[in-house]
Amino acid sequence: MMINFLIGIFLASLIISLFSTRLYKLLFWYALNSLSLGFLAIYFGANLDDNGMIIAGIITVLMKSIGIPYFLKQITVKLQLVRQVQPNIKIQHSILLVPAILVFTFYLSEPIMQSMGQNAHYVAVAISSLFLSLMLMMEHTNIAPKIIGFLSMENTLFLLGVTATGGMPMLIELGIFFDLLMAIVIVTLLLNRKEI
Amino acid sequence: MLFFLLLPALIIFVVSFIKQEKPNHILAYISFLVIIPTTQLLLMDKPYALWGDYLVVDKINAYVLFISSVVAIAVSLSLLTLEKHVSITKVAYRRFYRAFSTFWIGLIFSIMSNNMGIYWIGLELATLSTVYMIQTNTTRGAVKETWNYLIVGTIAISLILFGIILIYSSAKPTLGEEAMSFSLLLAHANEIDAPYLFEIGFAIVSIGMFIKMGFFPMNLWLANVERASFYPVAALLSGILESAIIMGFFRFSKIAMEINQTHLVVFVFSYMILTLFVVSFLIYRTKDFMRLFSLSGVEHMALIVLFWVSGGVFPALLHFGAHAFLKPALFLSTGVLESNGKYRIAGALRGYSGKKGKLFWILVSLFLLGLISLPPSPMFFSELYGFSAMVDIAKESKHMIAMLGAIFIILLLLSIIFYKFVEVSQSMKYEGEVLAKKVYWNELLALLLFAVSLLVLLSPPVIDYLKGI
Amino acid sequence: MTTYLLTLLLLLLIAPLLLSLIKSIKMFLLFKQPSSIFQGYRNFSKLLSKETILSYESSVMTRVAPFLVLSPLLVTLLLVPPIVKGAFYIDFVDAFTITGLISLSTFFLMLLGLDGASSFGGMGSSREAFISALAEPAMILTLFSVSLMANNLGISQATVNLAQSFPPEHIASFLFAGISFFILLVAENGRIPVDNPETHLELTMVHEAMILDLTGFYLALIESASAIKFVIFSSLFVSIFIPFGLDYPLPLALLAFLLKLLLVVVAIALLEVNVAKLRLFKVPNLLGLAIVFAFLSLITFYVLGA
Repeated sequence: MMINFLIGIFLASLIISLFSTRLYKLLFWYALNSLSLGFLAIYFGANLDDNGMIIAGIITVLMKSIGIPYFLKQITVKLQLVRQVQPNIKIQHSILLVPAILVFTFYLSEPIMQSMGQNAHYVAVAISSLFLSLMLMMEHTNIAPKIIGFLSMENTLFLLGVTATGGMPMLIELGIFFDLLMAIVIVTLLLNRKEI
Repeated sequence: MLFFLLLPALIIFVVSFIKQEKPNHILAYISFLVIIPTTQLLLMDKPYALWGDYLVVDKINAYVLFISSVVAIAVSLSLLTLEKHVSITKVAYRRFYRAFSTFWIGLIFSIMSNNMGIYWIGLELATLSTVYMIQTNTTRGAVKETWNYLIVGTIAISLILFGIILIYSSAKPTLGEEAMSFSLLLAHANEIDAPYLFEIGFAIVSIGMFIKMGFFPMNLWLANVERASFYPVAALLSGILESAIIMGFFRFSKIAMEINQTHLVVFVFSYMILTLFVVSFLIYRTKDFMRLFSLSGVEHMALIVLFWVSGGVFPALLHFGAHAFLKPALFLSTGVLESNGKYRIAGALRGYSGKKGKLFWILVSLFLLGLISLPPSPMFFSELYGFSAMVDIAKESKHMIAMLGAIFIILLLLSIIFYKFVEVSQSMKYEGEVLAKKVYWNELLALLLFAVSLLVLLSPPVIDYLKGI
Repeated sequence: MTTYLLTLLLLLLIAPLLLSLIKSIKMFLLFKQPSSIFQGYRNFSKLLSKETILSYESSVMTRVAPFLVLSPLLVTLLLVPPIVKGAFYIDFVDAFTITGLISLSTFFLMLLGLDGASSFGGMGSSREAFISALAEPAMILTLFSVSLMANNLGISQATVNLAQSFPPEHIASFLFAGISFFILLVAENGRIPVDNPETHLELTMVHEAMILDLTGFYLALIESASAIKFVIFSSLFVSIFIPFGLDYPLPLALLAFLLKLLLVVVAIALLEVNVAKLRLFKVPNLLGLAIVFAFLSLITFYVLGA
């Protein structure tokens, strides 16, 4: 029951951030997203007795839900980025598009549910979250929501790694964190060089 | 052995931090060292385990790595006189070589890997360092393109990781923790009892790879990026980065062929025909060199994928080798061809004086014609073998007419490209004003290196080696 | 049966109390001297003793519509879920009926606004149509999703089922339906951030614009109609989404119910104090969120739970 609740919060915060128009609110929903993901990782790790997952969950809670939003907020203040971010897709189309994406991805994952059984619906939620964060990235033109969309995509990868298999090799979890680190480093370097 | 492979890159990385008067010379000469370990790998017994089960060298690996090192040497050769064609500072040179060394390390890990995770890490390292390489050009348009490249590149890599996790989870019940290695997956491909999960994972992986290679929905980002960066960076992108991605595609699609070949063929064929359709018309309308060459690179990658999926290993590898030599050669020559401005295609092959100039324009026109597969270019042979492989797999199934129709459409689209290239080479040679252009010895040497390697590619020992894979 | 009638009487009686409670909590939070919580009753009796003046252009509609606004809501009041186990309740009413009755009341309110031939009335009616066009699909989807989870199409029966045995694997879609229904509670009752219930500036009026030129008895009917609508929505929200306390004996169950209503009142008051009213053309963003969440709750019922 706890797993379903946390996955519900994960998906809810992702969808709310699709409809938001203010940057700080987007950061808040992203922080909630990462928080639920971290707790999910800790819960799974405790169930499977996998210490690596518990540690990864704790790192997620600390770094992704507190560290990265704080860091992005500092960058926004320093570079004076635009804080009112309007999606390019009109709201009427968005109301139709988001359920269409959900239905499409759940339809895609239907055969998996029949053959796999146990954790199949989490794969479905992960695939739909991937498409939704791609949509988040595509619908804004400012750079800050695009970065948040990319970070949500990394969260989706982590969700898939935690729930779909019975524990990923540490390599992949390290790889995800490494990817995040490299992306943040490059984003900082690029932002400090020249403004867009 | 792994240490020897990584040694030149590490030396370049360290030396690039030392401030010196002529950074490009020393760093370029050091980068020639990369050829030594790769030749040694080529001559060893395969399969050779480089690092446990994680990095394994077999015939395809060694071939691809060897080609990449030849390209790297030629690019470093031509980098010696980059500042004569574009404005670049010494600091930018050093930064470029720093990024180049990380790129090479990532490349080694991704090409040699037998483990999906290590392949992905190497690919990601390579991609992120090319972002940094594009930044050596500091105009405003280049910064915007860098952002675009970063976004598109990271989306593509994340999609690949997503697909890798799905594939791993589909194979985990049967293979346990070892489901990450390519060789084990290939051996036990028929025992995976959730083939649909594998197919979704493979579809997502290939969509990520196709985005990076510049296929159907994302055709223009590659052309824009290569336009915005300097020509050696474009050469590196098209020659070497594509080789890492195509290596991964080779491995993944081999496993997918075991599981369900019909789905794979239908998916890849329809995707490639769409891509060729868009790319051929885009090529028809280009007005400058860089875009022309990068779009033609997309077209050749599409052909390589088509040949591989039809079961033609030999034509795919031959085409890949020929393309990896011709395309960077043409990119490196755009440095000279564009000496008088970007959009002067007409008359680009006129106005060369002296022996160096004559040799240059003869080589460039030969390369241009070789790119559109006129004999005796290796591309001619590879396309012949490739189309025959496509007809071969259609003979076994009942879809001969569909395959012939597909081949007909592909040839039609390729003829548009053929027409444009012939028109470009004619106008380069016979139209336009005669403006003096200067060729430097190192660029000429780079082009000669490529020409020699193309001739070596056509020689019997190499053909036998490729046929034996 | 007696518990049922007692519940109805109680809900009728506390309807004005809830609205004035919201107002005085808001004033308390803003550090003002709070108005009395019985102000709603005083307003009602004041309005009953005032004379009714009708505008020159109004037709028979203005005389008939206030009754027609109130009566569907009174019928819906008969359908609310029970507070305590063992009470009588009407169990065959499903989402379409409840939504249809509430929108019938809204329809007559819109006609009332148009009837006075003033531009304020027309503006208010068109805005109200705009908002309820978005709110109705969300409400239907949400209530259907709840009835799927509780395995019965009748809403009251569904709440009783949920109180007896809550299915833990459906908690995700329960959460989504709760978020969606809360947004609808705010939108349909005209609270901030959708509509300001205390203003008389035309820029921000929706509900007030439609009843701008009513006085006396008719205004009393309309105001009690909006109070009853709030009571219906909050008791539905409380019974469906906070399904505890049905098993206690009657006084304790009653107390639990009143405490839950108080919780909703405090939540709405906090929301009104902290959030600014949305521009009218940003209201579809909020209601679109409600629709998407209702849809999501239906889909995750099939994917996550089944």
